[in-house]
Amino acid sequence: MPADGKITPSTLSVKDLPWQIFWDKDKCTLCGKCTAVCPVSAIELGVFRKRIVEPALGIAEKPRHDYRIYYGIRQRTDPAYRCVGCAMCTMVCPNDAIMPQRSDEANKLVFHMDRGGQPRRRGGRRNVGGTILDRIKFIRISMLTDPALDAGRHEFELRTLLGRVLPPEDNLAFLSSNGWIPPVREIYPLVIGGMSFGALSPNMWEGLQMGVAYLNDELGMPVRICTGEGGCPPRLLRSRFLKNVILQIASGYFGWDEIIHAIPEMKEDPCAIEIKYGQGAKPGDGGLLMWYKVNELIAAIRGVPPGVSLPSPPTHQTKYSIEESVAKMIQSMYMAWDFRVPVFPKISATSTTLAVLNNLVRNPYAAGLAIDGEDGGTGAAYNVSMDHMGHPIASSLRDAYLNLVTVGRQNEIPLIAGGGVGKSGNLAANAAALIMLGASAVQTGKYIMQAAAGCLGSESDRCNICNIGQCPKGITSQDPRLYRRLDVEDVAQRVVDVFLTFDTELKKIIAPLGRSTSLPIGMADALGIDDSNAARRLKIKYVV
Amino acid sequence: MSDNLHRTISGRENGTRIESRVLEERIQRAVADGCRRLEVEAFGQHGIGGRLWRAGDDPVHVRITGHAGQRVGAMGYANTTIEVLGPSSDDVGWLNAGARIVVHGNASNGVGNAMAQGKIYVAGNIGARGMTMTKQNPRFAPPELWVLGSVGDYFGEFMAGGVAVVCGVEAQDPENVLGYRPLVGMVGGRVFFRGPIKGFSQADARLVPIEDADFAWLVENLEAFLTAINRPDLLQDLSRRDQWQLLRARTAQEKRGRQLMSMADFKVRSWEAELGRGGLIGDLTNLDRSPIGLIVSGDLRRYVPVWENRKYLAPCEATCPTGIPVQQRWQLVRDGRVDEAVDLALAYTPFPATVCGYLCPGPCMQACTRQQSIMAPVDVRQLGRASLAAGLPDLPEPSGRKVAVIGGGPAGLSVAWQLRMRGHEATVYDLSGTLGGKIASVIPSSRIPEEVVSAELQRVREVIPHIHLQQKLRRADLAQLREDYDFVVIATGASKPRMLDVPGRERLITASDFLADAKAGRARVGERVVIIGAGNVGCDVATEAARLGARSLLLIDVQEPASFGAERRAAEAAGARFRWPCFTREITEEGVVLADGERIPADTVVISIGDVPDLDFLPETVAAERGFVTVNEFGQTSDPKIFAIGDIVRPGLLTDAIGAGRRAAEAIADMLDGKRPSANLQQVIDTRRVKLEYFDPRLTDFEDLDHCGSQCSSCGSCRDCGVCATICPQAAIERIEPDDGEFEYVVDADKCIACGFCAGACPCGIWNLVENDPLV
Repeated sequence: MPADGKITPSTLSVKDLPWQIFWDKDKCTLCGKCTAVCPVSAIELGVFRKRIVEPALGIAEKPRHDYRIYYGIRQRTDPAYRCVGCAMCTMVCPNDAIMPQRSDEANKLVFHMDRGGQPRRRGGRRNVGGTILDRIKFIRISMLTDPALDAGRHEFELRTLLGRVLPPEDNLAFLSSNGWIPPVREIYPLVIGGMSFGALSPNMWEGLQMGVAYLNDELGMPVRICTGEGGCPPRLLRSRFLKNVILQIASGYFGWDEIIHAIPEMKEDPCAIEIKYGQGAKPGDGGLLMWYKVNELIAAIRGVPPGVSLPSPPTHQTKYSIEESVAKMIQSMYMAWDFRVPVFPKISATSTTLAVLNNLVRNPYAAGLAIDGEDGGTGAAYNVSMDHMGHPIASSLRDAYLNLVTVGRQNEIPLIAGGGVGKSGNLAANAAALIMLGASAVQTGKYIMQAAAGCLGSESDRCNICNIGQCPKGITSQDPRLYRRLDVEDVAQRVVDVFLTFDTELKKIIAPLGRSTSLPIGMADALGIDDSNAARRLKIKYVV
Repeated sequence: MSDNLHRTISGRENGTRIESRVLEERIQRAVADGCRRLEVEAFGQHGIGGRLWRAGDDPVHVRITGHAGQRVGAMGYANTTIEVLGPSSDDVGWLNAGARIVVHGNASNGVGNAMAQGKIYVAGNIGARGMTMTKQNPRFAPPELWVLGSVGDYFGEFMAGGVAVVCGVEAQDPENVLGYRPLVGMVGGRVFFRGPIKGFSQADARLVPIEDADFAWLVENLEAFLTAINRPDLLQDLSRRDQWQLLRARTAQEKRGRQLMSMADFKVRSWEAELGRGGLIGDLTNLDRSPIGLIVSGDLRRYVPVWENRKYLAPCEATCPTGIPVQQRWQLVRDGRVDEAVDLALAYTPFPATVCGYLCPGPCMQACTRQQSIMAPVDVRQLGRASLAAGLPDLPEPSGRKVAVIGGGPAGLSVAWQLRMRGHEATVYDLSGTLGGKIASVIPSSRIPEEVVSAELQRVREVIPHIHLQQKLRRADLAQLREDYDFVVIATGASKPRMLDVPGRERLITASDFLADAKAGRARVGERVVIIGAGNVGCDVATEAARLGARSLLLIDVQEPASFGAERRAAEAAGARFRWPCFTREITEEGVVLADGERIPADTVVISIGDVPDLDFLPETVAAERGFVTVNEFGQTSDPKIFAIGDIVRPGLLTDAIGAGRRAAEAIADMLDGKRPSANLQQVIDTRRVKLEYFDPRLTDFEDLDHCGSQCSSCGSCRDCGVCATICPQAAIERIEPDDGEFEYVVDADKCIACGFCAGACPCGIWNLVENDPLV
């Protein structure tokens, strides 16, 4: 309530807000930690005047009244200071006296988050819970028909191929005619998807890289991680860890001059080059790194001056047709490493996925196709893009795979699926479902943020403030005051935990299917779903 | 050989192999019949020799010739000894519960699978998955598997108890006597082996030294094994302790600690060893990136509290056209320095009692933050009236710089007063015979006691010695003054009444004439008075007319009357009526004729539709627009040496005129000092920072100055209440008194966690929580 009692159309009460702070006066010790930690200053100390009126029994005397003043925690209702539900207040409260709760009332704030005519922007992903991947079951259990395998004790070959696998006759022809065949990598099928240095804090980025390095060096798991668009620290470019890295090039080309400068000094080739044409979270939209996140460090890595906003255009500017996009970019990127490094494009899942795929199939240099579904995450995008733009990954991937089957090339051009993998926490099950629908590998980002760094975001529009640099966990902030909350080693360890768990769970899924010698890519006869329309669409079994 | 104790049972009858079920029936019947030594000619039948419980505790010996089928001795009992004279098929001793089984050849896959008790001796090699899922039941001795040669792949999977001994004699795979991936999932038991191996499940088992007792047990039982398989000759060779190794299952506790490098070690040995000190970006930044907690102090705070005392204007101060810092005066009252509070007014106005105490409508009180909660504003009038006794400050020595002020009304006296306060000499010229302009001449005495005005005018005379009354100035005179003085300030007001251009206008009495005459005791009114123009001056006319005996008072206006406040209330109390819209067509002897022909009878008609300035005496260099002089923000006209203030610029309140005088004087003083005049850029405080919750909302009357002072929330100026220091959960706020006699609240950054409680609790809105300077 404004002090002068006047309201504007955007004056809201606590009741109108989606996240409401519940504060317990009796428990509160007024320690100040909740207001100190709140990332968006949604709570403040309030001065309250309490009136006590005490009429005498039988109204025998004149009623007495008195005022008491007390202090408490008050929620601000100005949309600019809305509670985002992160519950950091709850985390620091020594007395469990405070907690945000989701309102039981329809969200009124949503109508007032565009003040100044600026549509809402946020981080996170599509604010709709669940995914059809969660509903896919693995129904083909090896009961006596095949030797059942023990996930814990059998040996499994889970590695997948990234790169163009030409038919033997083509390979031989290539080899004899020009002494070259497309490079192919054996990698772990779960790839950490592109999250840029800039979108992520230095500690988060380094933690992910260190965890991946550990998985490779200490556990022999060839896990790969994509840089996202924002360059790559010079030291990493010149280290042996570069083999773990998929370098992304996108429409802003940020950091690429630094990468080019580093090529002569590289000890290792990068795993691959991902050309980002689109992103599932915000199809048709580019990066939105705001100036306040572009400090000297980010600027150095991206090769720009500090303090400038770094939007990436929605499209690559010099590519005017699908043929050009594919042929020109793939050729250029191959040349940079003397044709030793696989190059593949990443697109938003779309009803036109097949057009891209068909083009790639004709191009023997295309090392794969990454398809990113509507549930992909992002550090910053327009809310409308996140919530309403995009195509679910399941059917887009399935169409692509079955199309390859039709032309007999399903084992030649790997499909990499992403976008909401592990959205509800079912990382291995979602990944296995996509693999059996036809993915050679899956990419995941937000699951890693949640599991490896404790990201609080959720589809109930909790937190989702990655874009403003105030991440309460320090994951997406460039402010040392915030990102130092994140311990690099802890993140690395959690990455290791996540992959070890994933590894066991994936085996728990594929072992009962009787598979251990290769990833069950496209093994859709093992899949069922309790929705006949979905079953028909995905060409899997309908089971109830 | 077929007596009661001995029986030979063939697996074939009439040249045909009998079913396993039938053979089993015959074996069981033989045992039930008392037979204790059986010879079975096997033809691949299943499970021979198991389950012979019908013999009770009597030992039963089963010799198997021919082709033993799968699961020889399955579910064997402790009373049973089985000898297979040749090789054996899969799962020898499956689920063995105590039988001693000797295989005099090789055994294929699954030897001892799920065995819980008993012993299996194999005189050759065995196939895959031997000794898997074996148990040890604490009620019985552990099961044993003895293999003379080597074992196949996946040996000991899920092994949960028992002892396996692999002698490695004439091993099928001399390079690896334990096969591929042995002991995966082993949780219990021991494996003695002799010969080379190619690894085992490190996660599940470990090599341990062979203790004396272990070896004694091995040698003792080895002899029994070798005897059973008819190879006692090997005993000496196999008794060489240094050839044996022992594996045992890791305990659950041992398994928990995986033998992996810690991440901290990895960072040092691998990560930074490759990348360099500081890891990934150590070459790009020296920033400390080590972990910190959620609640931090010092430089790590995202916000810092700032004590913004007097950074912002209080609404009262900001609204007062004169610019009196009202809230500071209340602070002085609270501090017990009432005299200073009173005296302070004279630094801003020569008429604190007259104007603040009586005549001002009080914009300061209208703006009082308390009004936002519909609480009674602090009563400034009490302070104003008390200012009658205000003592003059010591006046500075004259600077020798001179300013002519034309007009001795509130604006002129204000500028002259302020100039004198700044050491400059001001000479006031006025047309009339009395000083004070409207204050002295036209404001009804009902609204202010005469002695208040005269006392304050007397004080003015003490400050401004050069006052020339009854000086009619013409254009030439002004030009001369402009030459003689450093500056000229025109403050002649708007004293020329606006008239209606209607027939009979000569019958109209102007409001100013009427009020001046009334005050001087010269005025006469008829019974019926019509006042054209229902503003506040019209109301004053009505009030005075009533005092002088008028019976009927009508104020007419072309629009809804703009009158308000004390004047309006006084007129209404005197019985005045208001009518609008009324357009006057003519004034006649009978009264007022309106445009629509209506005639309003009147004995006296007063015109009160405002006054306009007389600009005739101004030089050409002074620009005017629509009858008023145009000036800049400091009151300077288009002639830089000439200022104009008060109603000659814009009609306004007394306080507007006084304030314009003060601002003009400041600008002139600055310019006399050779400086550019500076405007006050202070902003008014955001009143949401002020906490009215500390005050009684039911208060309607203020008893005295002290009471007023106590209820002022002192917007933007620290009350020195100490609430901030008390509420601070970290005890980070301290009150200090630097040498200048002032006080200050300061924050210890090392204690402060930037909770903002100080800002949240401060009644005056002094504390602010601002973003800390970026670290990068």
